[in-house]
Amino acid sequence: MSGHESLIEALRVLEIQALEAVSAATDPDALEALRIHFLGRKEGQISGILRGLGSLSPQERPAVGAEANRVKERVQGALEERKAALEAEGGEGTADFDLSLPGSVGWRGGRHPVTQVIDELWSIFRSMGFTRARGPEVETDWYNFVALNTPLDHPAVDEADTLYLKNGLLLRTHTSPVQIRTMETHEPPIRIIAPGMVYRRDTPDSSHTPGFLQLEGLVVDEGITFIDFKATLAEFARRFWGPGTQVRFRPSFFPFTEPSAEVDVKRVITRPDGTTEETDWVEIMGAGMVDPAVLDNVGYDSERYTGFAFGMGPARIAALKYGIRDIRCFFENDIRFLNQFAQP
Amino acid sequence: MNVSYRWLGTLLPELATSPEETAEILALRGAPVEELVHLAPGLEGLVVARVEAVEGHPDADRLTVCKVDAGGETLQVVCGAPNVEAGGYYPFAPAGSTLPDGMAIKAVTIRGVESNGMLCSEAELELGPDASGIMALEGDFKPGESLAGALGLDDWRMDVEITANRGDLLSHIGVARELAPAGAEGVILPPIPGGQGPSSDLGPSSGRQGSLLTLETGEAEVSAEGVTIRIQDPDLCSRYLGAVIRGVKVGPSPAWLASRIRAAGSRPINNVVDATNYVLLELGQPLHAFDLAKLGGPAIVVRRAREGELIRTLDGEDRRLDEGMLAICDASDPVAIAGVMGGAGSEVSNETTDLLLECALFDPKSVRATRNALEMSTDASYRFERGVDPESMELAVRRAVEIILATAGGTPDPAVLDACPAPWTGLTVSLRPARVQKLLGITLTEEEIGDLLSPLGFQVAGRSDTAMDFAVPGFRSYDVRREVDLLEEVARTYGYDRFPSELGPFRPGTVPDHPLFQLEDDLRDLLVGEGFLEAQTMAFAPEGEGEVELSNPVSLQEAYLRTALLPGLVRRVEYNFARGLRDVRLFELGTVFYSGGAGEAPREEARLGLVLTGDRTPLHWSGEPQGVDIWYLKGLLGRLVHGARLEGASVTDGTPSGQGLASEEGFTVVGVDGVIQGLAGRVDPARVDAPAWAGPVWGVELRLPPEPSPRPVPLYTPPPTFPGVDRDLALLLPRGLPARQVEEVIREAAGPLLVDLRIFDLYEGKGIPKDHRSVAFRLRYQSGQRTLTDEDVERSVTAVTDRLREEFGVETRG
Repeated sequence: MSGHESLIEALRVLEIQALEAVSAATDPDALEALRIHFLGRKEGQISGILRGLGSLSPQERPAVGAEANRVKERVQGALEERKAALEAEGGEGTADFDLSLPGSVGWRGGRHPVTQVIDELWSIFRSMGFTRARGPEVETDWYNFVALNTPLDHPAVDEADTLYLKNGLLLRTHTSPVQIRTMETHEPPIRIIAPGMVYRRDTPDSSHTPGFLQLEGLVVDEGITFIDFKATLAEFARRFWGPGTQVRFRPSFFPFTEPSAEVDVKRVITRPDGTTEETDWVEIMGAGMVDPAVLDNVGYDSERYTGFAFGMGPARIAALKYGIRDIRCFFENDIRFLNQFAQP
Repeated sequence: MNVSYRWLGTLLPELATSPEETAEILALRGAPVEELVHLAPGLEGLVVARVEAVEGHPDADRLTVCKVDAGGETLQVVCGAPNVEAGGYYPFAPAGSTLPDGMAIKAVTIRGVESNGMLCSEAELELGPDASGIMALEGDFKPGESLAGALGLDDWRMDVEITANRGDLLSHIGVARELAPAGAEGVILPPIPGGQGPSSDLGPSSGRQGSLLTLETGEAEVSAEGVTIRIQDPDLCSRYLGAVIRGVKVGPSPAWLASRIRAAGSRPINNVVDATNYVLLELGQPLHAFDLAKLGGPAIVVRRAREGELIRTLDGEDRRLDEGMLAICDASDPVAIAGVMGGAGSEVSNETTDLLLECALFDPKSVRATRNALEMSTDASYRFERGVDPESMELAVRRAVEIILATAGGTPDPAVLDACPAPWTGLTVSLRPARVQKLLGITLTEEEIGDLLSPLGFQVAGRSDTAMDFAVPGFRSYDVRREVDLLEEVARTYGYDRFPSELGPFRPGTVPDHPLFQLEDDLRDLLVGEGFLEAQTMAFAPEGEGEVELSNPVSLQEAYLRTALLPGLVRRVEYNFARGLRDVRLFELGTVFYSGGAGEAPREEARLGLVLTGDRTPLHWSGEPQGVDIWYLKGLLGRLVHGARLEGASVTDGTPSGQGLASEEGFTVVGVDGVIQGLAGRVDPARVDAPAWAGPVWGVELRLPPEPSPRPVPLYTPPPTFPGVDRDLALLLPRGLPARQVEEVIREAAGPLLVDLRIFDLYEGKGIPKDHRSVAFRLRYQSGQRTLTDEDVERSVTAVTDRLREEFGVETRG
């Protein structure tokens, strides 16, 4: 064996010893001691072997130097790897690694609380075979009132508190014009909901805003009766408000439905302590069988077809559901408010 | 409509439900009670007492010492009233009770004489203005009985919500009919205290016989005893009854009348006006009393007003009438606006001795149009608009006359003038029992249908093979005119709760789900995932931010419809800034409005608006937060344009000015047709009211396609199985040469093996020639067929560097 070969051999033995010792070390102090023992500039084992370079010919030296560097890097790498592994295992021992620190997150996003209510309404009605329809927010007297069996000289027009444009058109006071537009362009069976913005000339207060979202529904086909009307809406109400919900239909008046009804629910609320409580009756929608005059106005045969329609205010439902007392906060867009409804 | 529970009880003696239960029944019949108020607050503990003996006070001339029976042992009470008499009944506040004003009554010694309570005046009980003496109670009382009960104040006021179709419920009798289980049969009219009766006869023909008064009926004109009534416009007034009473003494109403008026939420005025108001509240018939001496003629002429005719109405306002309005005139001038309000000139006053009492039937639409034009609404007009019973007019006149005679005295002229150019002939409506099944889903026999409708006053007037004819009572003749109106009554009486609630099968509809909803949902998902909160703002805007103007806006700030979402969203950012919130990320999906040209509907557009300011991520210990910048915005915009399915739209750098965005820092989205589809950039700092600590505000406004194409379906390509090779190219680009242009050239020159190209480093300064920057591109090469060789890649890279040198004179760096 030549001189340089024996030095290389010694380096490889040292490499094996060092790697074994490093993998056996259990704390950072021991690792530091190993580093000094093997790699230390003065006392280190590798340095010791390199002192023997002087006895070699200049041709032999580079091969040994290269091998020494390789071993040094290998051992250095093993030391660092082991050190990281020890830190990851324990953590306790190292002051700069604190697992109780918070993780990094992005901003939370969220749908508007009223949108979330509409989403929920849509998912229920979708499962009951409804599709969504839309129409313009600026409307004519015909679509907003007259076609809906509401002559302009009828006192019911007062209740709408209509906002008019300078050109005589108006902002729809309900999404019912969508019913008319949909029936004008489609044949029965009709089975739609129409969510959308509507407008009333209301001074804002805790229960009024001059614009708000409404969701209306319309079903028209042969053989639709008051029983279908009641069953569909009661089924919806129980699905939305949860099991145990009681549903009540009270007579009412809307020019475009007859018989008309208000729908009330009595809910069962579970308090944080697990006990339950029954609420008072609360009104959640207006509804009724489509007035034959409305069907006649869109050219449907009112002797052949019957149907029902319903409307509700998602903001009002959101207020009930989330315990919000002032619905103006839906339009303030205070991010501290919106964040309460954001995704986790 | 304010309803007195006690009054209701006099009309419907069988009413056995409590006020709360009554309210519940009304709700289930379609007339919910919004408020239920107990009327005798403050009178609790006060009783009726009988004064048994009155003696002088030994030590004071003006005081008396009374022996009082208040239901227990006889009490000694010192009284200062001049009108106290032995044997009289008076309100009494025993020791320990409290007066309505809060004064506590105790046993005291007055000038050496013990006094165990207080005999009270009207004023002390807050029942009236009279403080001159104690309140003498007329009638039979039991000492010790509750004062509130004895005065009829033990009552509840129900504020009943009446829907626009049910004018008949704007009266106590209407509400009583609705509550009567057996129907109208159970409803009676209570006798008038001191009245000559029998105006309580409710029979359908009661106007014509067996009554206090007879009618002098004519067509358009009728006169008697020197008084004439003439209807010139019978299209607007089909009947006018006028009763003359002479020699009345106008004065305060007796307690029973005043307390009824009060219980229904009105103020007593005098015995004549209160008599007419009583009839209005009881029967729903608006009446008006004129001072006969102040009517020129004396005559009543019912005619359309002349253009510009003036009248001062009872509220003291001068009103200008026009030809569309119906006026009640005397021989020359208007003395009332028909169905709306009387004139001040013929108002009944304390000097009035002779009256003309009006009960007329006016056209609902005419009354409505008139009171709309005059911007006023009265109890009378409210009822006329909704329809007044044509069958109870005579009854109303007799009832009012009886009350006036009982409370104000006087003598009626022998006949009531009855101008009746268009007599009420009744109304019949047909109902096919088969329609009950078809619409309501239940099967009822003809007999059952009849039984459901007759308590409401609808009587079978005839039958055919397929239909039943029902006579509609006058009080329902406005809202029950068609078969479906009767069907509703059938359902209502049957009880909505009794219908089964079984979900049947259904056929799917013909209307497809509108794709814009799906698009909006997809955009919400995208932005919520990016950490944005959804906002909702109003579509209203101040002048300068809109093209479409409202004619009756809620406020000046809301006088227009918006043409963009961003200004409203920036105001929401300011709102949050004002609350110390620095990081705001909001988006909205909403509608904007552009003027559509003369006579046309405005053009509506669905939009996405977005504002953001502050840091990209919440504060975290791992490093300095990075503020939102234009690169974040640009990246987001790219995703949104894609997400909004604006097919073929491209993003160009820089925004047109005047959009509220600072033009040098932004982007424009241009559609295939060259039309601008959106803008993104920094919101002009001059347009944001921002505190010093706030960061720049960035905004995006994007048009959404009105009929979006369906969500794109990705076509699958298998992921490459051969490894890719990356090459980095650092290029020295002269300033002014956009990176995008260089990128395009690289793609072109590199050929089909280039699958990805990214800029990963940008450097200028030390080591880079002036007016240059170093831009580093990473080119990824990959083939689907084979492993690439060094030669493949070299060939392409050389082609790229050659092209760059040729095209831009650009060299690779080191």
